[in-house]
Amino acid sequence: MSNPAISRFGAGLAALGVAWLAERRAQAAAPQLLVFLHTAVKQRALQDALSSGLPGVSVTTVGRIADFERMLAEGPDAVLTLPVVLRSKRLSIALAGHRAGTPSEKYVLVGADTAPVPTQVASVGALDILGRSGTTSFVEDLLGAHPKVVRVTKVEDLLPLLQMRRADGIVLPARLQAALASASRLKLAERELPGNVGLPAVAAVAGAGAAIVAAMRSLPVATSKLVGVDSWQ
Amino acid sequence: MAMTRRELLTLVAGSTALAACSRVPVQSQGASGGYRELHKQPNPGRETVLVCMPETTQTQQAWTGLNDELGKEFGLIAVRIEGRNDARIIEEAVQRHRPAGIVLMNNPTVTAYRRYESALPAAKRVPNVSIMTSFLQARRLGPNATGVAYEIPLITSVTNLRKILAERIERVGVVYRSSLARFVNDQRELAAREQITIVGEAVSEDPNESEIKAALRTLKQKTDAVWVLNDDHLLTPKLISKGWLPGLNERPWRPAIVGAESLVAAELSFGTFAVLPDHTELGMQAANVIFDIADEGWVLPAAYQTQEPLSTKTTLDLVQVKERFHLLPDALAHVDRVLK
Repeated sequence: MSNPAISRFGAGLAALGVAWLAERRAQAAAPQLLVFLHTAVKQRALQDALSSGLPGVSVTTVGRIADFERMLAEGPDAVLTLPVVLRSKRLSIALAGHRAGTPSEKYVLVGADTAPVPTQVASVGALDILGRSGTTSFVEDLLGAHPKVVRVTKVEDLLPLLQMRRADGIVLPARLQAALASASRLKLAERELPGNVGLPAVAAVAGAGAAIVAAMRSLPVATSKLVGVDSWQ
Repeated sequence: MAMTRRELLTLVAGSTALAACSRVPVQSQGASGGYRELHKQPNPGRETVLVCMPETTQTQQAWTGLNDELGKEFGLIAVRIEGRNDARIIEEAVQRHRPAGIVLMNNPTVTAYRRYESALPAAKRVPNVSIMTSFLQARRLGPNATGVAYEIPLITSVTNLRKILAERIERVGVVYRSSLARFVNDQRELAAREQITIVGEAVSEDPNESEIKAALRTLKQKTDAVWVLNDDHLLTPKLISKGWLPGLNERPWRPAIVGAESLVAAELSFGTFAVLPDHTELGMQAANVIFDIADEGWVLPAAYQTQEPLSTKTTLDLVQVKERFHLLPDALAHVDRVLK
């Protein structure tokens, strides 16, 4: 490479470095929202949608409880997750998601061919929201029974449990049942479970948490609906 | 400098053989570099689980899944195994840590373990779980062994693809060597649950490119998609270059489902859709098998079944899809990685 070329190359590298550093500083300065939710779309798509709906907020979505706990330890400004998860971390709800005027929703137990009876299933698949013992307790409370709980970290991983007959049924929010059914030719049958489970909510954890809570009130409706919410109160 | 097509194909075929089934560890299959612990998470007063693994990106992801699940309940030690001749390293690890359960990652590790285990009386054999091994078959495992398969079942791949393409996917063609007939039949039974019919074309044990092309031409006339097995006997550079690529890149177009990331590349136009195991979740799945074994007093429950992998990561060649097929609305929200 000639000397002028080397100079141009070096200048180009320096410019890239400056831009990279500027972006990193901007990200570090933006309020940080940590999201731990399971939806019908990929975490990447959820993160993109929330980032678009919350300009100026750095959004990170995770689907694994271990990743959530690691990132929570790093000190985000706010957290968006289920109330039961917030309670397990001793975090208080600053803003609650509502749908049809209520802050909670129904869960269903879904099986292939017939709707399973909650007290008669030997094994049940469920989204891992609280780790092994916590999720097991959560499911047992929902069912009023003590089946073996097979945990998954993605909504789409529940269907294989039925396809491969690894579980007698799967437990999930009723609003996600349609997405599952549309992906499958199994004859899925569901039974609504008694009781209600809190819809996603926001906790302010540090510094800019209040600003994130304020921004969440204006989250576009289409984005809120991705997480099962139509208003934030 | 841009690679030539030959260089790209060689890289693809080489990395496919490496990545698809983890049969070849990062380093040679011969003599190892000696005993080395990759991770050590003791848990005094609790049983220990020994993990025997080569050191690759995928095995480290699986380790994360294992550790996240097991680390609070058990001591966890990972020992580096570089090849099928490392039985002595396994012996040393077992003597040092006296594990109650063992996880084995990849084919050479399993081979090394079986060599070590063959010298033990039955009473001293430790329950073990194999992952990341190619074409895992329960009947080939020992009495105290189980595992999670590495190949994503076709039923899972097609369920995912049906969320992405508007084209009907009901009949799926597969080119296979006769030695994998049983695997294909097992997949056929599973796929039928989602009304997916597998149509197979058997080729010889050492096929040439003409056989591959002929098989593809036959299959594409009577199926809606093609499933490419992670069989490195069928995915040599020559067979990819002169068999698969010409066969897949002529009409009628059929989406190609592949099981290796390297086979989905815009420059290559081979795979339309790659479905791979999520290695972190594979570790979690293995951890849950360990929990099942621990719940039975560290004895593998009778008739414990090997499992299919549950969780996947997907990649879509959007360039190819836009040229040849039709996307469903919101399709890209159901793909982990999109190549544009």
